[in-house]
Amino acid sequence: MSSTKAARIGEEVWKTRIDKVNAELVTLTYGSIVAQLCKDYEGDYMEVNKQLDKMGYNIGLRLIEDFLAKTNTGRCINFRDTAETISKIGFKVFLNITPTVTNWATDNKQFSLVFEENPLADFVELPDDGRAQNELWYSNILCGVLRGALEMVQMQVDAHFTSDVLRGNETTEMRVSLIRIIDDELPPGDD
Amino acid sequence: MPIYSFYIFDRHCECIYVKQWLERERNSLRPTTSSGASIINSPLSGAPDKRISAGTIADQSLRTAPGRLSVQDDAKLVFGVVFSLRNMVRKLSGPEDNFVSYRTGSYKLHYYETATNLKFVMLTDVKMSNLRVVLHQIYVNLYVEYVTKNPLSPVEHPGGEGVAVELFELGLDRFVQTIQEA
Amino acid sequence: MTFYFAIIGTKDNPIYETEFGTSKQGGDGHARFPDEQRPMNQFILHSALDIVEEVQWVQKELYLKTVDRFNNLLVSCFLTAGNIKFLLLHDSKAEDPIRQFFADVHEAYVKTLMNPFYEVDMRITSTVFDSKVRAAAKKYL
Repeated sequence: MSSTKAARIGEEVWKTRIDKVNAELVTLTYGSIVAQLCKDYEGDYMEVNKQLDKMGYNIGLRLIEDFLAKTNTGRCINFRDTAETISKIGFKVFLNITPTVTNWATDNKQFSLVFEENPLADFVELPDDGRAQNELWYSNILCGVLRGALEMVQMQVDAHFTSDVLRGNETTEMRVSLIRIIDDELPPGDD
Repeated sequence: MPIYSFYIFDRHCECIYVKQWLERERNSLRPTTSSGASIINSPLSGAPDKRISAGTIADQSLRTAPGRLSVQDDAKLVFGVVFSLRNMVRKLSGPEDNFVSYRTGSYKLHYYETATNLKFVMLTDVKMSNLRVVLHQIYVNLYVEYVTKNPLSPVEHPGGEGVAVELFELGLDRFVQTIQEA
Repeated sequence: MTFYFAIIGTKDNPIYETEFGTSKQGGDGHARFPDEQRPMNQFILHSALDIVEEVQWVQKELYLKTVDRFNNLLVSCFLTAGNIKFLLLHDSKAEDPIRQFFADVHEAYVKTLMNPFYEVDMRITSTVFDSKVRAAAKKYL
């Protein structure tokens, strides 16, 4: 579907069919999750990233059903369509933000999502111990969410952050690449 | 107009929910439920059983007492039918199309599939109008609300665990009652 | 006119301190405490803590105005809801600008609290907070 049509659907679903919650509550809840993980893993930020990704994956598995139920969208025709749907409808409906889709690879199998605002990271400053700035991806849960959600609609993808304003970079950017389309499963006993 | 049974199949071709309402001889609805799934060892019924299923599914479940085996067999038969039909439809008219329902002499089968390959199947009386919208409603208002959003109910159902959420079952009962009265 | 500002935590531990001079009326923003005075500043502020603790249960407001004097220096205090004390050592008596300064610093402090990696009573080392405090000082004092 076209970009404007997706934006329109996203806006309409956001206005009518979504229960709203206080944004600061979400920010503080997510912040305490990350802070507690950092404490529990005693500064092993790679492990924290992995756990955030796992949590996001479990969220994504269920979130996709809620998304399909609320927005009534059908299957996407191709990966470009998927990208538009994710950015204009998906993020809009759940976080009320619209990241921009850029940097398409030539084979149309990779794109970047650039976040102008990130409600999960409001008021956050990474700890000053020298390693967090280089190793922790604060919003890594979002990568897991995308991975889990897309896996349930037969797409295996890899999502990871390439830059983050919390780390001092200019933008917050996530790179999403399609690894393969998962085929429908056949029942046991069939060829 | 009576609804005979209701099935949910997940993306791994397993039956994760079955509900049968038996009528006729006893004049009340006696629901028998099982949230069970496929027996991996027995071969899946394909084309030959279609002839049997087209017309005697309701009889079959009536004659035999609703023990575990016949309910599971029913589920496998239904899934076989639905899966083959779906593949045939896709091959004939492209990957975007899906079959909506089919009707035999004794029953009508309604089918709805989500983008996540979750399949909802309902067997009803022949004169029932198209229930695709109803199945969509069950998905949106009951399944997503009570099952998907319940953190304690599993997303994948390995080894035959099915949907075992009470609120879902109550909601489904109530919903089906309203359809049958309408 | 020079100022010495400190934030004291719930356990009487200093969380943040800085000094600056006025930017108004030709001042250049640099502190001008006489050299031998400098170590005294901390003592003066901390000794004012006792008085703050007495006064805080009497007064209803969070801005406690001037609580103590030492020679010609005044100590003003602002209390946060979490019992964190903002103390300002100054030699002039301008109340309103000081109140506005405290309000700005309070806002910056609340934003620091929202950072999930910051715990109450931790030292504030963020340069962002520091620049906010200095900006507030330049604006009001």
